[in-house]
Amino acid sequence: MREITYREALNEALREEMDRDPNVFLLGEDIAIYGGAYGVTAGLWKKYGDERVLDTPISENAIVGVALGAALTGMRPVAEIMYIDFIGLCLEQLNNQVAKIRYMFGGKCTVPFTLRTEGGAGRTLGAHHSQSLESWLIHIPGIKVVMPSTPYDAKGLLKSSIRENNPVVFIEHKMLYNTRGGVPEEEYTLPIGTADIKREGRDVTLVTYSRMTLFCQEAAAVLEKEGISVEIVDMRTLLPMDIETIVNSVKKTNRVIIVEEDCKTGGTGAEISAQITENAFDYLDAPVVRVAGADVPMPKSPVLEKLAVPDTERICKAVRDMVRL
Amino acid sequence: MIKEVIMPKLGETMEEGYLVAWRKKEGERVEKGEVLFEVMSDKTNFEVESLHDGYLRKKIYEPSDEPIPVITPIGYISDTPDEPLPEKTTKPAEKKPPETPPSSETTKGEKASDTSAPSERIKASPLAKKMAEEAGIDIALVTGSGPEGRIEKKDVLGYLEKRGRTPHPNLLPKGARETEGYAVQEWTPFRKIIAKRLTESKKEIPHYYLQGRFLADEVVKLKKLKKEQNVELTYTDFLVFIGARAIKEYPLINAALVEEEIRVYSAVDIGLAVSIEQGLIVPVLRDCDKKDIVSLSNERREIIEKARSNKLSEEELKNARFVISNLGMYGVENFQPVINMPGVAIMGVGKLGKEPVVIDDRLEVHFVMNVSFSFDHRIIDGAYAGLFYKRFKEMFENPALLAFY
Repeated sequence: MREITYREALNEALREEMDRDPNVFLLGEDIAIYGGAYGVTAGLWKKYGDERVLDTPISENAIVGVALGAALTGMRPVAEIMYIDFIGLCLEQLNNQVAKIRYMFGGKCTVPFTLRTEGGAGRTLGAHHSQSLESWLIHIPGIKVVMPSTPYDAKGLLKSSIRENNPVVFIEHKMLYNTRGGVPEEEYTLPIGTADIKREGRDVTLVTYSRMTLFCQEAAAVLEKEGISVEIVDMRTLLPMDIETIVNSVKKTNRVIIVEEDCKTGGTGAEISAQITENAFDYLDAPVVRVAGADVPMPKSPVLEKLAVPDTERICKAVRDMVRL
Repeated sequence: MIKEVIMPKLGETMEEGYLVAWRKKEGERVEKGEVLFEVMSDKTNFEVESLHDGYLRKKIYEPSDEPIPVITPIGYISDTPDEPLPEKTTKPAEKKPPETPPSSETTKGEKASDTSAPSERIKASPLAKKMAEEAGIDIALVTGSGPEGRIEKKDVLGYLEKRGRTPHPNLLPKGARETEGYAVQEWTPFRKIIAKRLTESKKEIPHYYLQGRFLADEVVKLKKLKKEQNVELTYTDFLVFIGARAIKEYPLINAALVEEEIRVYSAVDIGLAVSIEQGLIVPVLRDCDKKDIVSLSNERREIIEKARSNKLSEEELKNARFVISNLGMYGVENFQPVINMPGVAIMGVGKLGKEPVVIDDRLEVHFVMNVSFSFDHRIIDGAYAGLFYKRFKEMFENPALLAFY
């Protein structure tokens, strides 16, 4: 299979969906002429023109509101919010309108709305451009939250998100754009709401998503040499959560560590942990452990930034502590 | 006042029972008539109600797969929650499981039997607790190796291995036995009871066997007639109904050997060997000689349904004397069943079908049922058994007789 970057995979997904359905259009800050802050929409304005790839003013609330209006009137907008750190500016539209309008009008409309954004640390961009705020979003019933870790998943899930008739927030990671992975040439989509076993193992399950999946894979490779067999469940979609796949893995390994980049307190891992306890209590041989981001504003210093988010070594240590072989 | 809670004797042959579960915690209030604990004996679980009001002051035994002799005190009920206990409130020494760790090793072993210290919470993972429960072991006997002495899966597995008992296959680490070419199935307490009772029967009872054939044309015809009236009867129903009447004339068949006495009962209670998921069980139909065949059939259906759904009461299981075991539906021609103690006779029913029969020097085709009987020679001699067989056969082959005797 050919290998392409995460960025290229997303770009392909957008292109294919725009070719497939003339109602699909893009809007966001600097996505047209400039091609997007991280280059995901590169070349699309040239190909599809002003009508279908729109540069917007710097007004996140307006971007989401316009996209919602377009979705309600039959278009399939794909909006981009440059950094998830700005999601607070959109929350009125997202939380009170996008997520609820189909419900409040008794299902009379659909909301084929996709909001792409990216988050995470790694480029020392400081407290305003490095956050992981997905846990805010999974608290909003009415939207779906997708966070792929590989080029393959990114392409298949973005295509499904665009075709979905309910709002999807699609969260990329700034440190994944240049990562490479196999992506077939032929058309495919992936179902929203299903986790993926990225590695099979027996001793401990790592439940993770987005960039942390890569660290978990590195950790698993290190631990394998020490005789510890690690299973990795990549959530891929946080909402709705595929608890069944997680529970099945816990039944097999009896131990689970959640690896997440967002702040530990009130984070996504807290929800996953609670659901594991609710659904697989009798299969747990150890308390559920979280390896998570520190409860601090993201430091600008590269040294401190590295300390504030989980890395391979911290994951290895947590596994060793739990398995104690 | 302190009152003993004892392992009850739930049937005339019950010598020991297994404590399956306590339904109350130590110190918990219990009312007379409330379910206090669960016991397994003679293959079924029974809920045992408290005979006293008060507090469950102390559990002497914890649920395990160690049998406890009947009337052994297993706990104490007191009038007030903090009443002092009699001095000797632990299990008799020889009943202590041998694998209790020596006191020098750890304090954990003492925890299970130490009465003076307030019972300390045992730290165990949910999985370890569940495994211990499924394996029927007291988690307090397992030494934990996890953080702060927490008992984990590997500790339970280690304990089971040390004890030489086979854990449930699901609990084995994956692939542990696969290479040896066999899987280990748990020998459940239920199956152990079956094993014990049947081994005892074959060891104790000098079995001998009769076999023969019943002509079944009349019964087949009757069954069909009843079906036309929308009454579904089985051949077992006919055997119970007719057999009870034959037994009435040969009362020794309905005897039991209990405590060196040959007890001959007036009530004809017939047991049916029923196969359920966990193994063999023998529910009993009462006063079969006094009931009509439709009532017996309804009762039979009900009791088998209860057996399959594990809802039989102690009452419905006790005092089987004559037992009928039917394998005819599997095409079995003949077999020699093992006598269900303390009964003295059992009937094995083979297949029913058309067979050649010589009658008045002519070869005829008739419905024939293959039957066999096992008897306890200590109580019933061959001649008596032969007479019983002859009478049973006569009634079965000419059911009209039953209306005129």
